[in-house]
Amino acid sequence: MNAVALVKQVPDRNSAFRPAGDWIDESSLGYGINDYDRYAVEAALALKEAGHAAETVAVTAGPADAGQVLRSCLAMGVDRGVHLITERAHLADPFFVARALAEAVSKLDAGVVIAGLLAEDSGHGQVGGLVAGLLGFSFASAATGMEFRDGRLEVHRELEGGRIAVVELRLPAVVAVQTGINTPRYASLRGIMASRRKPVERVELAAPTDGGGLRRVTLSKPERGASAEILPGSPQEAAAALVPRMRAGAGISFPGDAA
Amino acid sequence: MSRRALVLAERSESGITDASYELLEAASQLAGGPEGVSAVLPVGDASDAEGLREVLPAAELLLVEGPALAAPTADGTAAAVLHAREASGAACVLLPHDPVGWDVAPLVAARLGTAAATAVSALFWRADGLVARRSAFLGKFVQEVLAPGLPAVATVERGAFPAREPGPAVSVRILPSPVGPDDLRSRLVEVRDSGTGGVDLTAADVVVAAGRGLGGPENLEIVRELARALGGVVGASRAVTDAGWLPHELQIGSSGATVSPKLYVACAISGAIQHLVGMRGSRFVVAINKDPDAPIFGAADVGIVGDALEVIPLVTEAVRSSG
Repeated sequence: MNAVALVKQVPDRNSAFRPAGDWIDESSLGYGINDYDRYAVEAALALKEAGHAAETVAVTAGPADAGQVLRSCLAMGVDRGVHLITERAHLADPFFVARALAEAVSKLDAGVVIAGLLAEDSGHGQVGGLVAGLLGFSFASAATGMEFRDGRLEVHRELEGGRIAVVELRLPAVVAVQTGINTPRYASLRGIMASRRKPVERVELAAPTDGGGLRRVTLSKPERGASAEILPGSPQEAAAALVPRMRAGAGISFPGDAA
Repeated sequence: MSRRALVLAERSESGITDASYELLEAASQLAGGPEGVSAVLPVGDASDAEGLREVLPAAELLLVEGPALAAPTADGTAAAVLHAREASGAACVLLPHDPVGWDVAPLVAARLGTAAATAVSALFWRADGLVARRSAFLGKFVQEVLAPGLPAVATVERGAFPAREPGPAVSVRILPSPVGPDDLRSRLVEVRDSGTGGVDLTAADVVVAAGRGLGGPENLEIVRELARALGGVVGASRAVTDAGWLPHELQIGSSGATVSPKLYVACAISGAIQHLVGMRGSRFVVAINKDPDAPIFGAADVGIVGDALEVIPLVTEAVRSSG
């Protein structure tokens, strides 16, 4: 039984993004692993180290250069990779991606499949759940903790209002993890060297044919309905101008105010 | 196919959640009126839901009943929603964009052969399908997606639609659960408080919230200083609590606390939608951020564009010297 991490290559979050057509201008972006997915990889590695997985496998769907994220997973310690090669534009539909991932996962003797809660770019936040639904696996999202208990997986889920749900999943299971569930390790030099000898299976995906799940229509900057008044001047001037506005806007006095 | 819309209603200790009433309004708009709205409530025993019929204003309330549904689970709730979807003939299924929706929506969508439109703030029909306006790039952009296949599935953000007033369901149908307890792959063991540290963010008049842009935990002291000067408490964005700079119970946003203070000061917080939903009810919002395009400025009344590490101590000083 193996631990499988689902990972995605996304644009660097500090890039200057510009909307272009139905997506962003991708002509001059750097790419790396989705931050949430680093936690998924760490969780998979931890399962193997605790003796709950024979092997760790990282799977991604993306263009040829998305192989870089698999290499970074291998450098962290993952045993092997599966690269489902497809055009970047085809990642627009989470259902297309999930169907391809599900087919790959079905061949990996997966006991636990771990995904990040969402991708920083599209943010659909459901590919893990779709894979679970397509394969009939158990599923829990927003996981902030997991551990094996009597052959089942006990997952802590974050609910609203600071509450935690503890759920027990039969295997095989898919878990979508929150950032903060663990502390992802960095690749060691030895890990980077070793990763070069680790296998990556490459599979060419057929282009989506049917209507699929979702299509992109537009992408734009949010409307600033109640846009802030930006205080002008030097930082000192702006800070000074802010205080009376805060007092009037909030309708309160502050501890240092004269009684 | 009709434009009937099905809503997953969620129970709370006091009845039905506020999010459910917002979903009922969204469904009513999509269906062209309240007569096109169905709601599904999974229950262990329909007699438990007697009182809820009076406060759940759907044309058709579907109580999916069975011991497997007595405690909520991802797969149990998904099975109930799918069953009710079929019984109602709804063209779209609306769920809350919260940890329940995150669990259930993809399982429902996968079975319907589609993906869910998530983090949705607006919905409308077009000749070729359902269009959903949603948040992308952690709130930096608004995206419209088309669900060409029906039925469509969407998870709707809190506050995107006004809440419907409670009222009685026009008709109630009880459907036996399609799943038994042995069919479920997940089991709810317990729900517990994560253990708050004694700070009640929700009761504070002033909240000063720390964001990732502060750079590191060593810079939190200037935020604490400002909170002291304003007579407030310190809160945080998810990135800050995840990084361990502050405990999780101080997190404000969709997976943490929802606050509505008189004054909210966002320090070096970019303003992802998940954060904004937790502070939208604040009376007066101040944003300090070096990125003039940060979404937080769209949710603020007053902003200062600048380095938070430089600006925050100046604000603290200005507050102290203004008294």
